[in-house]
Amino acid sequence: MIKNLIVLLIPLFALGQNYYAYVASESEDTVSLIKFDGNEAVEQERIDVGFMFAEIEGPHGITVDPSGDFWYISLAHGNPFGSLVKYSTKTNQAVARTTLGLFPASMEISTITGFLYCVNFNLHGSMKPSNVSVVDPETMTEITKITTGSMPHGSRLSPDGLYQYSVAMMSGELFEIDALDLKVNRVLDLENKMMSPKKMDGKIMNKNMQDNMVNNEKEETMMSSMPNMKHSMVKPTWVIPHPNQNIAYVAGNGSDEVIEVNLDKWEVSSRFKTGKGPYNLEITPNGKLLVGTIKSEGKTAIWNLENKEELAIIKNTTSVSHGIAISSDSKYAFISVEGIGGEPGIVDIIDLESFKLVSSVEVGKQAGGIAFWKKES
Amino acid sequence: MKNIFLIPILLLFLTTLTAQEKSVISDLDELKLDIGQVYKPVTYSVDNQGKKYDCERVIYYYKKGAFSMTGKVMEFNRAKGTIKAVEPGYHEVVAICYGNGKSIRRTFNVTINYPKVKSIEILSDDQTIYTDTYIPISYKITDEMDVVRDIDYWKSDNAERYFSNLEFSISSSNDKLEIDESNNVLAVKSGSATINVVFDGVKSSKTINIKKNNIDNIDLRFIQKPEKVRTGDVINLKADAYDKRGNIINDVMIEYSFTGKSFDKSNTASGLILQDGRFVGDVPGKYILTASFGNASKSKVINVFQRKVQREVKKIGAGSVNDKHTSDFWVFEGIDKRDYAVTGTWGADGTAYFWDVTDPSDIKKIDSVQVDARTVNDVKVSPNGEIAIISREGASNRKNGIIIIDVTNPFDVKIIKEYTKNLTGGVHNLFIDEKYVYALSAGQKYYILNIEDPKNPYEVGMYEIGKEGQSIHDVWVEDGIAYSSNWRDGVYLVDVGNGIAGGTPSNPVAFGNYTYDSGANHATFPFKSKSTGKFYAVMGDEIFPNGVNPNGTNETAGFLHFVDFSDLENPIEIARYELPGHGSHNYWIDNDILYVGMYTGGVRIVDISGDLLGDLYKQGREIGYILTGTSDGYIPNDTMVWGAQLYKGHVFYSDFNTGIGVAKVSDLKPNNSMTNQYVD
Repeated sequence: MIKNLIVLLIPLFALGQNYYAYVASESEDTVSLIKFDGNEAVEQERIDVGFMFAEIEGPHGITVDPSGDFWYISLAHGNPFGSLVKYSTKTNQAVARTTLGLFPASMEISTITGFLYCVNFNLHGSMKPSNVSVVDPETMTEITKITTGSMPHGSRLSPDGLYQYSVAMMSGELFEIDALDLKVNRVLDLENKMMSPKKMDGKIMNKNMQDNMVNNEKEETMMSSMPNMKHSMVKPTWVIPHPNQNIAYVAGNGSDEVIEVNLDKWEVSSRFKTGKGPYNLEITPNGKLLVGTIKSEGKTAIWNLENKEELAIIKNTTSVSHGIAISSDSKYAFISVEGIGGEPGIVDIIDLESFKLVSSVEVGKQAGGIAFWKKES
Repeated sequence: MKNIFLIPILLLFLTTLTAQEKSVISDLDELKLDIGQVYKPVTYSVDNQGKKYDCERVIYYYKKGAFSMTGKVMEFNRAKGTIKAVEPGYHEVVAICYGNGKSIRRTFNVTINYPKVKSIEILSDDQTIYTDTYIPISYKITDEMDVVRDIDYWKSDNAERYFSNLEFSISSSNDKLEIDESNNVLAVKSGSATINVVFDGVKSSKTINIKKNNIDNIDLRFIQKPEKVRTGDVINLKADAYDKRGNIINDVMIEYSFTGKSFDKSNTASGLILQDGRFVGDVPGKYILTASFGNASKSKVINVFQRKVQREVKKIGAGSVNDKHTSDFWVFEGIDKRDYAVTGTWGADGTAYFWDVTDPSDIKKIDSVQVDARTVNDVKVSPNGEIAIISREGASNRKNGIIIIDVTNPFDVKIIKEYTKNLTGGVHNLFIDEKYVYALSAGQKYYILNIEDPKNPYEVGMYEIGKEGQSIHDVWVEDGIAYSSNWRDGVYLVDVGNGIAGGTPSNPVAFGNYTYDSGANHATFPFKSKSTGKFYAVMGDEIFPNGVNPNGTNETAGFLHFVDFSDLENPIEIARYELPGHGSHNYWIDNDILYVGMYTGGVRIVDISGDLLGDLYKQGREIGYILTGTSDGYIPNDTMVWGAQLYKGHVFYSDFNTGIGVAKVSDLKPNNSMTNQYVD
């Protein structure tokens, strides 16, 4: 009897669940709150972000803090430095702001330190090492900038919150930052040695790197271990550590591959090909599936992490697939798709059990950064 | 059995409660460090019972942050847990104590001691000091680290910024000097006196020779004064001091001042007088202008009358864009000698519109281009009317750059070339000068491209001011000089072919700069006054005091700063146009008349003839204005003028919410027949 009741009730609970995600629209200076009820996604609220009238400030990265009380948006453009703005999830009103570096982009908050780690992408600057800003979200103080590589992108914490990972798109490196010591711990060259990366003038780049580091806090640096700068063939754009294994996956946007990194041995353990231009990657919280946007093809790919088998490749609703947020129950992937020109951005919701696109909703132009907020009954 | 489940919940509750009630304790509190000292603080936490807990880890940081404008104040070695003192002053350090998977934080006040003062020098002008006059004094302080600071006033914010424990005294050796509570020094008797100062235990003195003030008479006259003085007219005064024998005394600094009474009893007189004898009255009234030295003074009385430059300004025509926001515009003569305009769009679909404005009362949309961009912020057309260039921001491939368009037939414009090299970060503004285009890059610098062959543009030069955090908003080129507006770094005058500093487009050379406190320099227009020959850089602000709302009415602020650049080495900010309640954006100057888009304040037309001094708006120099919001606007009835351009006698403008429009300034005085001022 009880068994039967449970069987009957489970679908009812499932039906009554709502999923919420925030998505940033980079060319509209808006953030949309998306509500998905398991069948249909709607834009529940569109929030204007930015502070300068005639300028597009470019909200790029977005994250929700572990408590779910606040969300944070990075504004890529400023005068010239971008900024980080903290919003309340209760009111969707800005509560604090701080200046970061050039083109602040992706970010995440460590569950152990409580700090927010945001890469300064410096997308349009010179090809020289940029950095990761570390912010105390309580006081919204940028504590320090940690120099990494050229065009750092993707910022994800290890499950224990002790290490932050990012990749340098132009120098083709994976960086591991000690989240407590706030310094670079390890650097891994992601180039496939079978390929021939274009070497830049190592002397010049290293001098730039030195200058940059001297300008930052005089802490122990990884100077000696940083290789000469090069124009990466891999062009890594994202890194995601596995939730319960010592493995990370990197999107090789230039080499059309996913690179598996053994974090214990700190070496590339595997590479597998993707469609053209993989951009963001996320892993389901249960650790079973890897989801990746294939930006140049406007598609989303899903792999089984046990055997690296591509389970599905799903066409997104519009072109230029960008970010991924996965629901806490590993059931749905929320995919932001930019669109082109005056087209609206789109959030596609993919069912991770049927591998079908189940709903789409229009948001502001150039939908990019996306973060899962909560699931509630 | 139930208790087994309850215990962990209770423990969790208690742990949380305990964690919430803990406080961070550290010997950082009121710590004093010397510069260069490295210190390892001892930090722990206590609960409300006083029980002490070690932190599993402590992280310290400077509360103003890594990007503090005060520079690097401290260095933190987080692996060793140490702090190194760098910059003297009173600072805040945050300590975060980690334990049991939770963190608590507290801010502590840490003082980094200023170096001891090594020497102090009293500075005063070389001018002769007479009795009954104040002595201008400043102080040159050198500390033990050989840092030298000039301080104008004691006990001011400026002094306190550099020195703590301000133990200061100033005295006179005799009764020939009087020193007031603000440390001003007044010479009261002739002879010799010594000023003694003590700062932080270091003494210094300076002997002053005071001459008896023999000034018996002051002659005050007008050097230049119109027969009928109007508000805004600058009067030049000259005063000479004479002794009893009628000898002129040259080494005295005569002081000018004024009082006044408005003709309108509901108003108050106001104006400005400079110590070189220039005076301007803002409000019609009777003004008493005085020159004085010691106890001698002489006055002149003048009446200042209304400027009476107001004219009727009428809207002539408009080209509506009400499905999206409009940005900048440019009006030009086509190769067929007809008149055309191009307008950009903002936060939309990358469209630029082309208009036939030959008949300003019948503006026709004749063509458009759509490019991969969200904002076409700026549009310009080459002087020969053949090439238009539009800027791109928000391109889907993030390459942005510029688009070169053939406008020889404005009814059928054709894209010739997309150019993105070094411009991927977005081009916010651009300018065309002869065969070169000056295009901003990522709001940090500008590139100079040769577009002689518009199908094959190529980069010939680049200019950046070269500062950390450099930022640029606009560039305008005239007579081979590029005027770039760089927010807090102000305007930079760069020789790109004028020859004044040997610059060329491929070798731009900066030769002038001016900054002001607000740091909001958004645009600059060079202005050579036709009536006086003086050369000004008119520098405009852009300020949104309450942030922005692209979907509703905004509050705007900021004004135009008139900087006299006649002496390139010593530019002087001499006047301003500030419209109360409304902020400045883009503008145009022609024939000593300013046409300015004041955002929510509409298009304003201002007489800037003659010498300029003080508050131009208050002086009644405004000729007229129009408000441009319309009921069918993108945001209805919301005036938001982007900019203005005088073209063949018509005032063209673009409005963020309505598109392009035209107005005409007539010779008639404003028609006040509809004004209901006498309604009972």
